[in-house]
Amino acid sequence: MSLVPISPGRRRKDALMRALLAGATALALLPLLLIVYFLIRKGVGAWSGSFFSTDPNGNFLGDPGGIKSAIIGTLEMVGLATLISVPIGIGVALYLVEYGRESRFGSMVRYFVDVMTGVPSIVFGLFVYIALVLTNTGGSGFAGWKGSVALGLLMLPIVTRSAEVVLLLVPDSLREAALALGAPRWRVVARIVLPTALPGLVTGSLLAIARGAGETAPLLFTATLVNGTNLDLSQRTNSLPAQIFSDIGQAQDRLVGRAWGAALTLVLMILSLTLIARLASRRSRLT
Amino acid sequence: MATETRTHFREELERLEEQTLGSLDMVVEALERVAEAIEHQDIELAQLVIEDDDRIDGRYLEVHQGVLSLLARQAPVATDLRVIAALLDVIKHSERMGDQCVNICKLLPLAGHEPPTHPDILRKIVDMANQARFEVSQAKQAFASRDVDLAADLVRQDEIVNRLNRECFRLALEVGDDPDMREWAMHMMLVARSLERIGDNAVDIGEQTAFVVTGLFREFTDASHPELAPPSPAG
Amino acid sequence: MIDPTTAEVSSMDPSEPSTEPAPGRDRPQPTPGAAAMMRRPRSRARDATAKRVAVEELNAYYGQNHAVKDLTLEFLPNEVTAIIGPSGCGKSTMVRCINRMHEEVPNARATGAVRLDQVDLYHPSIDVVSVRRTIGMVFQKPNPFPTMSIFDNVAAGLRLTGVRGISLRDRVEQALRAAGLWDEVEDRLGEPGVSLSGGQQQRLCIARTIATEPEVILMDEPASALDPIATLRIEELVEDLKRRYTIVIVTHNMQQAARVADKTAFMLAGELVEVAETEKIFTTPSDKRTEDYVTGKFG
Repeated sequence: MSLVPISPGRRRKDALMRALLAGATALALLPLLLIVYFLIRKGVGAWSGSFFSTDPNGNFLGDPGGIKSAIIGTLEMVGLATLISVPIGIGVALYLVEYGRESRFGSMVRYFVDVMTGVPSIVFGLFVYIALVLTNTGGSGFAGWKGSVALGLLMLPIVTRSAEVVLLLVPDSLREAALALGAPRWRVVARIVLPTALPGLVTGSLLAIARGAGETAPLLFTATLVNGTNLDLSQRTNSLPAQIFSDIGQAQDRLVGRAWGAALTLVLMILSLTLIARLASRRSRLT
Repeated sequence: MATETRTHFREELERLEEQTLGSLDMVVEALERVAEAIEHQDIELAQLVIEDDDRIDGRYLEVHQGVLSLLARQAPVATDLRVIAALLDVIKHSERMGDQCVNICKLLPLAGHEPPTHPDILRKIVDMANQARFEVSQAKQAFASRDVDLAADLVRQDEIVNRLNRECFRLALEVGDDPDMREWAMHMMLVARSLERIGDNAVDIGEQTAFVVTGLFREFTDASHPELAPPSPAG
Repeated sequence: MIDPTTAEVSSMDPSEPSTEPAPGRDRPQPTPGAAAMMRRPRSRARDATAKRVAVEELNAYYGQNHAVKDLTLEFLPNEVTAIIGPSGCGKSTMVRCINRMHEEVPNARATGAVRLDQVDLYHPSIDVVSVRRTIGMVFQKPNPFPTMSIFDNVAAGLRLTGVRGISLRDRVEQALRAAGLWDEVEDRLGEPGVSLSGGQQQRLCIARTIATEPEVILMDEPASALDPIATLRIEELVEDLKRRYTIVIVTHNMQQAARVADKTAFMLAGELVEVAETEKIFTTPSDKRTEDYVTGKFG
């Protein structure tokens, strides 16, 4: 069988396919580029020193103020949500991987976690609204910590899923080696499995946090909207998504401008989180 | 098993065994000629045997090399290992038997062209040669079919050769005063001795057969422990 | 050799040479700390010498799969016993029953007894963790802990089992020397364990195993993931180690069993077919199945 050069028909087909795929990629990238373009163009204009240092003051005319309380509120609520969801989420993942890999109960839990990832975020908000807000739990209606609970519920399955994947990546041979040395199982988990999986767990948590920081619907029903900064999470707390939601529908250009500025801020915050996550995962020894 | 494994190795081992047993055929052929040469005092035939011994020596080298090659490349164990060890031993005995035939054939011309012969001695020597040939044939058969009983029977067969040897010795002592006759008788004794050694070598080959089959090495007869030998047949 | 605790003769052949270390052999000098460690009596009550392991009527299952059938086998102290057999014959399963690693597999169970001297390791009162501290295991693929340095890897066994009050450094050095790795790593103990070559990693795992001073060492195909030179070094090491431990080695490489083991056991389809001195198995096996396996007619 002799070697023959590539036929012109083949060459044409190759070129055509390549062009088609490039076109599809460009088409997919187009909206993304447009978003970035609009964000920057419309948002940067609103940025200023006072933008970041003053609270929105509720004025419709004149200076509407900045978004300080929204930023702080987001940081507070997402922070609390992280404290709730990350330990519990990793705990559930540990159970599924270390103890419940083949048990019926473990399969059930895994199934429910999968279901939870598909629940629309607004449903979490409504659930907390009904369960905590309407019942005035903790002595008040809307409150920042209730927003955290809603966000936490949203983040929980994401943390669990990614943690489970990372924990499964830890080779069983390491667990075997530690068990064969005579270590009790909890020590194997604490001293071998977790440290080995740590970079991956951090990455997964950061991505969940990034997701939680951008959710609007849960916060609307739980922490709602308020202008002033408060560090007391038992009161209504402002947040960036809520602020954007509120501002974007107004007639005043300056308010709309503020919304774009806030959106740009939020996107940049999430972007930096994802970048850190990406850098962390590169140092991981498992992926 | 459904699929054959190590077919290449098995074939090589079989070929090596064929070569080794083939050398025994060569010895049998040589003994046939020796018997005839002795009976008819045929010097030319004796010379042929001497020259043909090169084939047996060549076969020895081939088998020796083949054994080394298989050991190095195939790491044989268990029965295969015993067979290979046995083949090395058998080919050695073959080569020795070939050399003994050469010794016999070298002795024949020394007695002169038309020597005086003692008919009884001559008869017994020829019988010994034929019996030795029969033993070598049986040894080959026993090894090829891994028949331990047939191999053990070689002891009894060899006893015939030993008996004939003793009888020749007695006859030679009383051969008379004729110096030519006496000289011829001495040469015949040496021939008898060589034939007796050939018989011993055949018995040794029988022992190798038993080793391959049982994994135990036991001398059928031990020169230093005659009491262990099986009872000799009458006559 | 008389075993003082059982007063039974534990060696078949009375003319067998003593198991004292060969005199005149060039050995690296231990640090004063390590030397003191060796003279000092051990913290455990018993003298930590090699022990006899007796497997009695062992049956092991994976769910419905009957992997090991009524197996009875003995492993003598200061001896290397090799387990050979075709894939799936149950040899790894059987060995994992000895240190009760078998039960870590979901739906796996085992019945029967495994005696370490006279103590039945399967007795309900025995803590499985303590079993594994006494019976160490080396696996097929070297598995040093990736987050730990060389030093930490060797010390891991001690740290994971909460051993206190001993000099870690001395113990680590002792173990690395015994594993034949000290000279190669003594000036880089802080480097990650995974930075070593495959053969070195396996010796590191062996050092990790012996740092906890077990009495028995189980090896599940310890050299099959290594190149031929590294394999030979591991085999040399096993020769050294048998002076202090009882060693059981599972191998699918028959030549390795022939080189390294004093006794060889042949398993087929979950059953023990034959066990004898290695030389006998490879020159005159009694069972035809053994003969067929070692000569390569199947497997």
